[in-house]
Amino acid sequence: MLEKRLSSNKYIYYPQDPFYSPLEIQMGPQHPSTHGVLKLKLLLEGEKIIDLEPTIGFLHRGIEKLAENLNYAQVLPLTDRLDYISAMNNNTGYALAVERLLGIEPPPRGKYLRTLVCELARISSHLLWLATHALDIGAMTVFLYCFREREEILNFFEKICGARLTVSYPRIGGVRLDIEDQVLEEIYNFIPKMHEKIEEYEGLLSENRIWLDRTVGVGVISGEEALAYGLTGPSLRGSGIAYDVRKHFPYDAYSEVDFEVPIGKNGDTYDRYWCRLQEMRQSLKIIKQCIENLPEGPVSSELSPDLDMPLYKRAITAESWGESAFISFLTESAPIVPKGELYSAVEGAKGELGFYIVSDGSGRPYRLHIRSPSFIHISALKKLSHNHLIADLVAIIGTLDIVMGECDR
Amino acid sequence: MKKEIKYLLFKDLIKGLSITLKNFFKTPVTVQYPKEKVKLYPSFRGRHALVRDPLTGDAKCVACLKCQQVCPSRCIDINYTTDLETGARKLISYKIEALRCIYCGYCEEVCPVGAIVLTEWFEYSSRNKEALIFDKEALLKNWDEFIHSYPEKVYTNKYWNLKGIPESNKSALKREGIYVKIKD
Repeated sequence: MLEKRLSSNKYIYYPQDPFYSPLEIQMGPQHPSTHGVLKLKLLLEGEKIIDLEPTIGFLHRGIEKLAENLNYAQVLPLTDRLDYISAMNNNTGYALAVERLLGIEPPPRGKYLRTLVCELARISSHLLWLATHALDIGAMTVFLYCFREREEILNFFEKICGARLTVSYPRIGGVRLDIEDQVLEEIYNFIPKMHEKIEEYEGLLSENRIWLDRTVGVGVISGEEALAYGLTGPSLRGSGIAYDVRKHFPYDAYSEVDFEVPIGKNGDTYDRYWCRLQEMRQSLKIIKQCIENLPEGPVSSELSPDLDMPLYKRAITAESWGESAFISFLTESAPIVPKGELYSAVEGAKGELGFYIVSDGSGRPYRLHIRSPSFIHISALKKLSHNHLIADLVAIIGTLDIVMGECDR
Repeated sequence: MKKEIKYLLFKDLIKGLSITLKNFFKTPVTVQYPKEKVKLYPSFRGRHALVRDPLTGDAKCVACLKCQQVCPSRCIDINYTTDLETGARKLISYKIEALRCIYCGYCEEVCPVGAIVLTEWFEYSSRNKEALIFDKEALLKNWDEFIHSYPEKVYTNKYWNLKGIPESNKSALKREGIYVKIKD
């Protein structure tokens, strides 16, 4: 009976009115369920969406252009502001791209710590996603429960590095400072507690009839279509394609830890929800392994560039003091960073987060491009929400897990 | 069949309600903010301060301009003069625009003498824009206000002495460790 009820698409029946004309509605940019400043132009037939056009750019801060005027180390705090919910992943992605450009490698302890904080950030991001997604659909309790656990993770971040959201903790060549044993112990004790809490969310939602009504069969996209739209992360894995940057192109300590990539079947909102919940469990598994196998030693590479890295290498000799020192500063005699271009990606909480750097040999990036998953996911909104009700659009925006800070950059 | 019976008996809703009922009897985690305050952990990146040297009674800053150079949002402005005989620099003015600061902590990390610090103090919002542009006197006053209620005898900051960084990447003073003695 349940299957029958779920399989019957009740959104198809609409009265055929001869005097009908489609209605145009602007949704956003100040709308509580567009998750930021996203504006959508909807074309409606009754309550059914027949066309949709997203407008972005309300949160544009020009991070890519700003980066051209700062040196490689100074760009790192700006990447906090991309996807401000999982700043650790952004920092790691950028730091990894510059490390590959410079040809340096962080020490093992730095790698493990980066993996640990990245997974913590992923859990915090998924918790915020679950909270707001459930709130959009109407489950207020889950919102409060999720924020309760997210607060603990943010407290860990504060203990580790002194900031809660804009952390700037990973850095080029490792991490910024070592973690204290006491904090590690607290995180270790948090793991079984978090497993229980995930079961609590599942108990509230997974079998709930209202939740099933609102998510099963809503926003269906097949695997091939999802690939064609460029979806990555849990949005793609919900459609049954097990693409994960952590598995396919392992970075940091991901090749040394054991974890699975959960995939869905139908590619609907429910499967994406299920995937993210399983991913939180896998993240906890990774964190546990990271703490158990944490190697000793320094956390940062000796070759990692200084914060005040100069534009060009200059050799100051006794003769070169005075005017000639100034001239040698201006001439590009010795490039500090190898010339060339490079694309490097990490698995962010939302999907594949890529950094494309063009280097002209100086201490500043000539061009920095950020492949942000949210920007690409917004392009799939039209496909996902076609022939759905407006009320379902809210669920579809929620399921893609869009953060406008990352989309507009 | 099983699913249908579960559906008719409202098992899914009862399961959810039992979870909320369990949580109903737990102690609330909400912090009633203005009345009670959250605990800040050491090296929280909050309001800026210039460290008052207990020996001279003045700022520790040596006007090396490293913080001005490294600041990603360019919110630090320093003026100094050079003594022509000794070559020593003397600080004339030191200004931080707190409204532009992004609280990355690079300035306190790069400072060779531990002169600037982001204190564990977060309640300093103001309706007045000028009150959030700190000059040297305001920054020293921030330090006095912060250290007045500091419980311990010696103050140190995580970012002055980065733990776990290879020794070759540290300056000479940082290898010994930077501390400020507040009380005897």
